[in-house]
Amino acid sequence: MRDSVLLHKTGPQVVQELQACIGCNECLLVCPALAEPITIDVLNRETLSGPISKPVARYARACYQCGACVAPCPVGLHRDAMMMWLKVRLLRSGREE
Amino acid sequence: MSRENKAGISRSYVESADIVIVGNGIAGLTAAVEARQLAPDARIVIITDQCHPTINTPALKQFATGKLEREQLLAYPAGTEREQRIHVIQAHVESINAQGKYLCLEGGGGFGYNSLLIATGSKPNGLPAATPGRDFDGVLTLHRLADYLDLRRRLCEVSQAVVIGGGVHAIETVMGLLTWGISVHWLVRSATIMPRVLDQAASSLVLEHIQRAGAKIYLETEVAGIVGRVGAVAGVITNQNQLIPCQMVLVCTGTRPNAALAQHCTEPMLCKNGILVDDHLRTSVRNIYAAGDVAALKNPQTGSYEPRAQWYSAVLEGRIAATAMIDDLGGRQSDRRGGSQSERESSSFGVPWHATHLGELSMLTVGNPLYWSDEITTLTDSSKGCYRLMALAGDRLVGYLSLGPKQPDSLAIKRIVDDCLPVGSIKKALLKGTLDARAYLSQRRSEAAHDLVTTGKLPDLAPVASTGKSASIVRVLSATASLPAAAPVPMPGVKQGQPAAQASKTARLPETGPLRTAIATVPVPAPMPVPAPASLAVPAAIPRYTAPLAIVESEEISPFTGNLPAVARPAASPSGSKRFQPRPLSQGSARGRASSGQKLLPASAKLPAINVNSKEKRPLRNLWSYGERRPVVTNHGGGHSKSDTARRTASAH
Repeated sequence: MRDSVLLHKTGPQVVQELQACIGCNECLLVCPALAEPITIDVLNRETLSGPISKPVARYARACYQCGACVAPCPVGLHRDAMMMWLKVRLLRSGREE
Repeated sequence: MSRENKAGISRSYVESADIVIVGNGIAGLTAAVEARQLAPDARIVIITDQCHPTINTPALKQFATGKLEREQLLAYPAGTEREQRIHVIQAHVESINAQGKYLCLEGGGGFGYNSLLIATGSKPNGLPAATPGRDFDGVLTLHRLADYLDLRRRLCEVSQAVVIGGGVHAIETVMGLLTWGISVHWLVRSATIMPRVLDQAASSLVLEHIQRAGAKIYLETEVAGIVGRVGAVAGVITNQNQLIPCQMVLVCTGTRPNAALAQHCTEPMLCKNGILVDDHLRTSVRNIYAAGDVAALKNPQTGSYEPRAQWYSAVLEGRIAATAMIDDLGGRQSDRRGGSQSERESSSFGVPWHATHLGELSMLTVGNPLYWSDEITTLTDSSKGCYRLMALAGDRLVGYLSLGPKQPDSLAIKRIVDDCLPVGSIKKALLKGTLDARAYLSQRRSEAAHDLVTTGKLPDLAPVASTGKSASIVRVLSATASLPAAAPVPMPGVKQGQPAAQASKTARLPETGPLRTAIATVPVPAPMPVPAPASLAVPAAIPRYTAPLAIVESEEISPFTGNLPAVARPAASPSGSKRFQPRPLSQGSARGRASSGQKLLPASAKLPAINVNSKEKRPLRNLWSYGERRPVVTNHGGGHSKSDTARRTASAH
């Protein structure tokens, strides 16, 4: 996996990418792990901060970081890094429960 | 509600709010949400004449091609406004009374404000007023949601369409229509497209792609008139005396800022190609701010004021404006502690950045790629159907243009330009579009950290810090922090204590997020020359500002290793401390991890040798739920069922 180095972006970088997301949905359209309707506004919001709802949590766990979402992004963002971020948040929120 | 109060409004009866935002585009709503986070008790009102909630306007082109439904266009989850206690009023604002600090609404109402944000966006230029036939049914501009709804309704009865305009929006429209199987005639006024962004070679590459996709391109052609039949479009006559039959004409001739409010303000508001704002988004009128497409910002590279009609800059501007408005509300208190956040924000504002798809090509422009002058050297690469152009000033990148099937790490390149990082070592990778931005940036950080450790001093860390700037840019930004001196109206927003405060802000700038801890632990040899030392220690102010970003800054992924942070293991501290104990890889089953860790306790002698190895492996096991091994997350209550669900979900695919 040549692009695996791009998976890990620092926190400020992930936030910056989330703010640059134009919500075109291209990443979700190609995602092989998305099993239920999740809209990009909710996903972005919950990746950034706040409580993580159940569908988004399920999606975050189902994401296996295949990277299919990166190429279609018109703005050149890395949804895989954002999902990894969401996984980290999920992990922490689980711990706090 | 005040707007129902038709006549005889006196100031005391007018409703008012601390923060009033005109327009509910992304800049307006972002500012409102951000302001709510900074000031939980402020009264925040959005006044808009738009009949729908804030949408992802760039996604409208996906909406036009049928990839999205209307519900998926929402920029914020439905109900965000209510949840954030942002009051939305449906009204049209006609004028601003800056002395009385109130707005006049259409129909005679008024609305008072403490801080006002103008975020009215832009409007399409359309065809010149003299063009015959511009009012026929079927002549559309694509700008608002209503326009796209109109387009989608018409698509089924259109077989030929004419697109007018030579910009990105026109290209996106052409490509969108082609996906519906409509034959598209594209009229471009000049001989190349986007002359300010693309050079000759890049322009012809794009044109070639679009031609291959099936569009018919007419260069150096303008519309002379539109012919219609019984009120609807039947064709377009060009200035080449050619008649192109069509059922629809799409006018993509650019937009201009919707700055009517600047003209209808009782105090003169500087406005030229957008409302002029400084780096805190203050207009020339006190307590009035502007953000989004309507605001004209100074380009740090060229020094000219220009609107940045792009999504990302609108979001950023909304956030900066919110910070500035909250500073306003805080009054005197904000003089002391204020600014630092907005200063930091503005320093991350940086150069223009635009990334999009032009059909199958990805286009990225950062800074000013066509910035020709003596000390600028330009490198281009046009192999394998790609085109890349770099403008270099010595070792610094000042402009970057990339066209190709793959979008490079666009925001990382923006950061390289913004922070003026040296690109000598990555020139070739940039030119080939194979830059590994993460490796480069983390290497820069390690070098800086190495300096910090070896010299014991705080070096010029700004260029490597995540939100920092190089000293030169900081200087430029603080110099441009107010509107030009030639401006007829001085900036009233500049308060008495400002120069001193400004100096202290500038001095504090390099202390960016990741470095704060270092500053706290490493004794700084010489205190910085700060005129007002009290401003450095305002503990009460800090939580208020950092709160919204707290999660982010604490959850930093280690820049040195690229690994995810070690997750604290709550109860199982005995085994937890041995979590990184070496063990043969064959024993590495995560399922038996906790117990095997205990079993392997005596092996601690080998710790240094294998530790590196286990560090590399760890995050993969911890976080990926598709593997057979149980993730470590699950060894506490409730975690089991969740990961089981996850595994089931994953296996379902």
